[in-house]
Amino acid sequence: MTTLVPNDAVTTSASPAGPSVVRPRWLSVVGVLGVLTMIATVWLGLWITPPDQVQGNLARLLYIHPPIATVALYWAGGVAAAGSLLYLWPRTRSLFWDRLAAAAVEVGAVFSALTLITGSLWGRPVWGVWWTWDARLTSTALLLLLELGYMALRRVPADPAIRARRCAVAALLVAVDVPIVHFSVDWWQTLHQGGTILDPGFHLHVHGSMLWTLLLGFISFSLLFVWFLGVRYRIEVLQDEVGDQELEVSLSERWSETNAIGTLGSSTSPDGDRS
Amino acid sequence: MSYVDAGYIAALGAMFVYGVGLVLRRRRWERARQVARSDAGVTPATDASAAAAPGGHP
Repeated sequence: MTTLVPNDAVTTSASPAGPSVVRPRWLSVVGVLGVLTMIATVWLGLWITPPDQVQGNLARLLYIHPPIATVALYWAGGVAAAGSLLYLWPRTRSLFWDRLAAAAVEVGAVFSALTLITGSLWGRPVWGVWWTWDARLTSTALLLLLELGYMALRRVPADPAIRARRCAVAALLVAVDVPIVHFSVDWWQTLHQGGTILDPGFHLHVHGSMLWTLLLGFISFSLLFVWFLGVRYRIEVLQDEVGDQELEVSLSERWSETNAIGTLGSSTSPDGDRS
Repeated sequence: MSYVDAGYIAALGAMFVYGVGLVLRRRRWERARQVARSDAGVTPATDASAAAAPGGHP
């Protein structure tokens, strides 16, 4: 029999039910690092870096908007697609991949919404509009809608294996939109700019403290994504366990009811007289 | 309030709210599991062996 023993890498919270809550310590470290790097990004972005020659202070929004979009598109989309593929592949099929994909889609939806919000707040003063049916904006909005659809599908009651297969297919549909968002600025004439840091010739667009602040923004949002993903994955595990145990309790209650009726029936004659 | 301030408040506020929400949800489900286990009469030893069963990392 396997037993879970707390060690250096794992902390447990004691409970009357035993050492049930396992929280990896590395995840807490990632969360703390994410918060610290986020504070540094905000400090550098708002107070240390100089205003841009063209955009002035509005360029400060670009220290958070591209990192948020990167997480929404590549990290969340990549984990959801990889997890779903690995679940659908018979040799690697495990609920671990299904839960990981589900966690990634929900966290990705938060980042996709923030991508649209921060982009809109930048676009209003620079482009003069809150929203336009630009290919990059529209495909990103579609990404958010697909992620919300996935989350709705996941709430439909079903057998865990059926739900996992259904959601894996849905996550692959979400993933189809990721390259469309990425290449939208190349495939269509868009209002949205192309590469933020590098152009197609791999020449840097950003320099000095602005570059370091932007890179720190990428690191901080990526670390927060990992922390969100870990906590959200844990919730998926707990939800499944509680669901299974509630089912077991219901079944045992039903069995005891059936046994009680059976005992009553065996101690009663067919015509209703007690034997 | 400038657009820059609004953008940072929206991003950081959403991160904070979502992060706190996740922690609260996790605590709620941990409590729900404890209740479900006490209803089902699951012992810690059984719990540990169950934790290594399906759905774990392959």
